[in-house]
Amino acid sequence: MSSTMHIMVVDDEKNICEALAAWFQKDGYRVETAGSGMEALEHMLQKPFDVYFVDIKMPGMDGLELLAKLKEKQPDADVIMITAHGSIQTAVEAMKRGACDYLCKPFDPDQLSLLMERFIASKALRDENIALREQLAEHRETIFEGFVAQSETMQKVFSIIEDVAPSSAPVLITGETGVGKELIAHAIHTHSEQSYGPFVAINCGALSETLLESELFGHEKGAFTGAAKARRGRLEMANNGTLFLDEVGEISTKMQVALLRVLEEKKIERVGGSHAVVTNFRLISATHRDLPQLIKGNQFREDFFYRINVITVPVAPLRERLEDVPALADHFLERYVRETGKRMEGFTQRALGMLMSYSWPGNVRELRNVIERAVVIARGRMVGAKELTFLNTPSAECQLGTLTLRELEISHVRAALEACNWNISRAAKQLGIDRSTLNRKIKRYHLTRP
Amino acid sequence: MHTNQSKPKNKALLDLILLGHVNEMAVSIVAANLQTIIGLNTDIRTVIGDPDYAFVPGRNQFDATRIIKTLCAITDGAPLKLGMIENDLCTPILTFVYGESQLGGKAALVSLHRLSAEDPAVTYQRIAKISLHEVGHLLGIKHCWKTTCLMKHSSNLEPLDSLSMYFCSACEYEIKRSMEVLVNRNT
Repeated sequence: MSSTMHIMVVDDEKNICEALAAWFQKDGYRVETAGSGMEALEHMLQKPFDVYFVDIKMPGMDGLELLAKLKEKQPDADVIMITAHGSIQTAVEAMKRGACDYLCKPFDPDQLSLLMERFIASKALRDENIALREQLAEHRETIFEGFVAQSETMQKVFSIIEDVAPSSAPVLITGETGVGKELIAHAIHTHSEQSYGPFVAINCGALSETLLESELFGHEKGAFTGAAKARRGRLEMANNGTLFLDEVGEISTKMQVALLRVLEEKKIERVGGSHAVVTNFRLISATHRDLPQLIKGNQFREDFFYRINVITVPVAPLRERLEDVPALADHFLERYVRETGKRMEGFTQRALGMLMSYSWPGNVRELRNVIERAVVIARGRMVGAKELTFLNTPSAECQLGTLTLRELEISHVRAALEACNWNISRAAKQLGIDRSTLNRKIKRYHLTRP
Repeated sequence: MHTNQSKPKNKALLDLILLGHVNEMAVSIVAANLQTIIGLNTDIRTVIGDPDYAFVPGRNQFDATRIIKTLCAITDGAPLKLGMIENDLCTPILTFVYGESQLGGKAALVSLHRLSAEDPAVTYQRIAKISLHEVGHLLGIKHCWKTTCLMKHSSNLEPLDSLSMYFCSACEYEIKRSMEVLVNRNT
């Protein structure tokens, strides 16, 4: 960074300009000098500098006037004032007006080195911050592009997200495993006022109660065996940001009480700690479980439920919005084709029909995995029925154990029809039923030949 | 085929110019280090007297930039000049300097004033390090960020003492290149 930094030294004393320029040049900076404020402005208009070293006392336009003009024309300009011992008050005034530091001449070599080190470190941080904010703003604009959904139900979800994101109200996202609850939580965070703060996620179902307590609240050194050093908890880390509690239905009622207190008092105490730490975050929770049912069974606290469920975002399973399948399949195909470098163009009609008639118990996550697998095993330019045959095996659905009897029957009838290339007589024979029964089932389940 | 002609005596590329009385041992050590570490043939010139013209009464120091301008004006002798002085040096912007040099220029200056240590060996090492550093600048080398390289800037004695007596490989390479140009231009 130092080699590219462009410095302007402005002083009416030529020897000061020369000495300072020589010092910076030896450190690898690009330096130009100006004998007056006007000359400095002319240089600046041609090409702005990263940092200006400006003498306060100069004939004509003095340092303070030049500072004001520089800030007007180049608001992000960093200006360091050079002053004599007698005019420190003026230097302090300059700092109030936007100068970032000042030096009393003559300065100690250590002082100049330290000032430059400090300046470079702070400039690097500011530049990084600007870049990150720009990236985030760009991300905010494109966040819904991450969602591939055309169905009316999902459009409603997006509308809810846009409405609720700017508030800081707690949100509960409900839906089956694999529907994209964390993606929605991210979208809410990105559109919220807390978007510049952290997004801290924790899967409550994956941890034991003790571990979850330690993860959420943090602990002090020696709080328990193995706590070799103090650790901040997720509740503390989420300060000024968003805390995402995934699988909130798995939290024990004891932990629900502890969390309820945090949500009300906005304070936490680390495990083994004795003082409270203030934390302020927006809470987003998600669950695939029926929380009102859990409340009835005394497995979930009603007060905690109302605290986390100010706004509900229900996400429909994929089988209820099958019209999203083609777009999602194309999206995942594009992604995995890019990752694997294969040349593939799309899906055959038959393959698309198979995707559309599957019940997707694992939802979007399952669809993603299916497409990834199909891309890996595909040899041609199109994903065909051959790459998706495993969808027709009953085990493909049964292995998740979430199918209803009706869904299982649909899947089995469809598999028999596919296996017999939609020859009704052969399929009926394979199923052990007569042709008219099979025709009734085809009609009842709206099965169509792909 | 071998010739019987003896090699011509190498011409000095740097003159050590003593400003007033300067510790003789320090002068010899600087000359030896410039010759062995950088490969600069060095001549020790006679004393040219105290630079009263560069005295800054308010600071009781000598202005290094003015002395360097005077050294630059010396046209005879070697192409590079390194002044040595026992008095304290400053510049218009800095309260003191151990040495000063023109980047890629003709003249540099070293002061022994702030470099003394209880152990004379440490004192001579410091003087040699500052001299090598300033001559490095004369050869166009900028400050190096490697912590032990002689071209690392030392704003006080602690980092100066932690430097090795060598240039890092990158600075050494640049010095060799500059030396080739200097030798070709002066033979």
